[in-house]
Amino acid sequence: MLELRDVCLTSRDSPRLNHVSLTFRAGETIALIGPSGAGKSTLLSIANGSLKPSSGTALWQGTPVHQLPRRQRRRIGTLWQDLHLVEELSVAQNINCGALGRRSLLWALANLLVPLERDACMTCLKQAGLQQDLIDRSVTTLSGGQRQRVALARLFRQRPDLVLADEPLSNLDPALVQDLLNTLLRQTPTSAGDILASTTVVCLHRPDLIDRFDRVIALRDGHVVMDAPSASITTKDLDVLYRASSEGRRAAPKP
Amino acid sequence: MKRPVVSAPLLCLLPALALVPVLIVVGEGLHGGGFETWWRFLQGAVQPSKDPLLLKSLWEGLQVTLATALVGWGLSTLIGLLLGVFSSDVLWESAKIPTWPAAAIRSLLALPRAIHELLWGLLLLQVLGLHPWVAVAAITIPYSALVARVFRDQIDSIDRRRLTAVLQSGASAPAAFVSSIGPPLQPILLSYGGYRLECALRSATLLGVFGLGGIGTELQLTLQSLRFAEFWSGLWLLILLSVLLEQGLTFWRHRQQTNPSQWNGVSVLTMTVLAVLVGGHWLQQLLPTSGTTLQLMLPPLPDISALQLAATELPWLRMIEQTMRLTLLAAAIAIALPPLCLLIFPGRIAKQVFLGLWTLQRVLPPPLTLLMLLLANLPSLALAALALGLQNAGVMGRLLVEGLDQQSPGTMKAIEVTAAGPRQAWLLGCLSPQSRSYLAYGAYRTDVILRETLVVGLVGGTGLGWMLIESLSSFHWAAVLLIIVCFALLTLAGESISDGLRQRWLRTPGESAST
Repeated sequence: MLELRDVCLTSRDSPRLNHVSLTFRAGETIALIGPSGAGKSTLLSIANGSLKPSSGTALWQGTPVHQLPRRQRRRIGTLWQDLHLVEELSVAQNINCGALGRRSLLWALANLLVPLERDACMTCLKQAGLQQDLIDRSVTTLSGGQRQRVALARLFRQRPDLVLADEPLSNLDPALVQDLLNTLLRQTPTSAGDILASTTVVCLHRPDLIDRFDRVIALRDGHVVMDAPSASITTKDLDVLYRASSEGRRAAPKP
Repeated sequence: MKRPVVSAPLLCLLPALALVPVLIVVGEGLHGGGFETWWRFLQGAVQPSKDPLLLKSLWEGLQVTLATALVGWGLSTLIGLLLGVFSSDVLWESAKIPTWPAAAIRSLLALPRAIHELLWGLLLLQVLGLHPWVAVAAITIPYSALVARVFRDQIDSIDRRRLTAVLQSGASAPAAFVSSIGPPLQPILLSYGGYRLECALRSATLLGVFGLGGIGTELQLTLQSLRFAEFWSGLWLLILLSVLLEQGLTFWRHRQQTNPSQWNGVSVLTMTVLAVLVGGHWLQQLLPTSGTTLQLMLPPLPDISALQLAATELPWLRMIEQTMRLTLLAAAIAIALPPLCLLIFPGRIAKQVFLGLWTLQRVLPPPLTLLMLLLANLPSLALAALALGLQNAGVMGRLLVEGLDQQSPGTMKAIEVTAAGPRQAWLLGCLSPQSRSYLAYGAYRTDVILRETLVVGLVGGTGLGWMLIESLSSFHWAAVLLIIVCFALLTLAGESISDGLRQRWLRTPGESAST
């Protein structure tokens, strides 16, 4: 479905990626783990096309992500760590942002006057597990958990085949974490209406949740250091992953 | 279906509908003979005159304008700061004195603030005759009142607990006021002071257009005599100076933000005093007559019967209606044009082209824009609105781009990856997060436009401005007085409405939704 072929990134702003080659297959749920600065968010940004690699390519069904036409590009959806909701708009208008890839500028302008396709928004709101009476509220009046679900509903509205979620569970209390993970891994409906074909890649800062996923990819210092089914990952593997990183940081000379 | 509610980003664009009637009227007023003149005008832009005599005269004019702006700005900042302090409630409260003197100063400042600097210039010209310091005074009077209001608002909005704490520690009232209110006021002194200097340069140019000397006079004379190559020589010089000033101030503001300890209030005040002294000396060198004493020639005060007669003679309803129509149309164009341009052409190259165009629009005083448009068009209210709207769109456009450049790219990126088109992504990812602060500034700009209707009214034959110039040229002092009072009342009402709108837009969306 999506393939990263020998991807490198050398940038002053983002953590580097070194010769990363990976394939996300249809129907998989993947946990992307690793210590802070390992390059997890960078990898997702390259996968969704918002960041261009220095070398190597990200391919969506054989076509470089950067060259994808709009119709294809909307099949990759992203749930951002900072959510990036449009604060000036209501819940429904924000959810409709997910449909922009299929709609015209005129539709986008009309949506700013009155939220369009309310039924579709309602359905997405329900799928994201949010009360439907919030549909006309301004997103600035919502709690952190509710805002996260609006971002999720926007993703449902986009109907992607691949979902890339960048640390969606950080800053949430434990009950909400389980709830959101259930929603996210319930498989996002695809453009074809086939709910089983969806692939979800989630950046995790909590390795204790990896048993909820089919496959685990671990990054450290821009390298893929582990890529295995979640059932085969042991506590020792995780200890090594995180300890090696913290030791590396301690050993590094102070600037 | 839900009741339509115009969201902030749409409200930035919807006023563009005002362009439809304006362009229809302007289109009907086009005359064929003007196109040849316009062509010669455009040729002048690429082939400006390089006559050494002309360039010398333009260079002198530019120096007069800059010196006038510098002195006017410096004086108004110093006087405005003092008046701002004395008109703040905090000062009087800190000394445990009733605050009525502050309220009295605020009321007294309303009138000088409400009258445009051009009107001050024309009135002072009648009273004092043609003298270089008339332009300086015309800038200083309204600017001082405007600066005082901004500083007073800032002082009164500062957390008073710090002042109370310093007073309780046994400090005297003046010492407590300076030490607790002074530091938070410094950034405003720096940023707002810089902004006012740009405004002072525009005002000094405008006053020149109406005969008060400097580059404005040169531009007016060359344009009226259709010597376009000479006109463009002056305009290019003015653009160069404005761009240098804008870039210098932007650099200064940036330095102040990154290294706030480098500039403190005292050093800025010292610089302001220096600006006044240097500018004053410069003006005297350029125009030796500036050292002569001002001759007071007060016009006769109209009596009650003359005022009554004038009140019945003047077509109030038509004048006020024209002024309001002019304000609304120009404000709509100024607010909607920049985001509309960037929405239609969201690319980087287009942005640079628009920035260049907006600089030109901003630098050129509205009466000259109107005169340019009149080369190929018949005078109308729509044409005056277009001229005024275009100049203010130059200001709004620059502000919009500055805001967009400082904005986090997160929302834009999030919208882009939903596979939205570039225009949709710009609308929702760029304009939307910026829309409320843009509209808040638009409300303030509308207030400025209302004052400036006077300027284009004088040229365009419409509204209170036109009636005022008619009355001034016929020495009908009763009518002059009544029109000034009417205009002052209108601008004060406009100021109050614009304040309310600005507060509304600066609240977070949730707050305004619930109110």
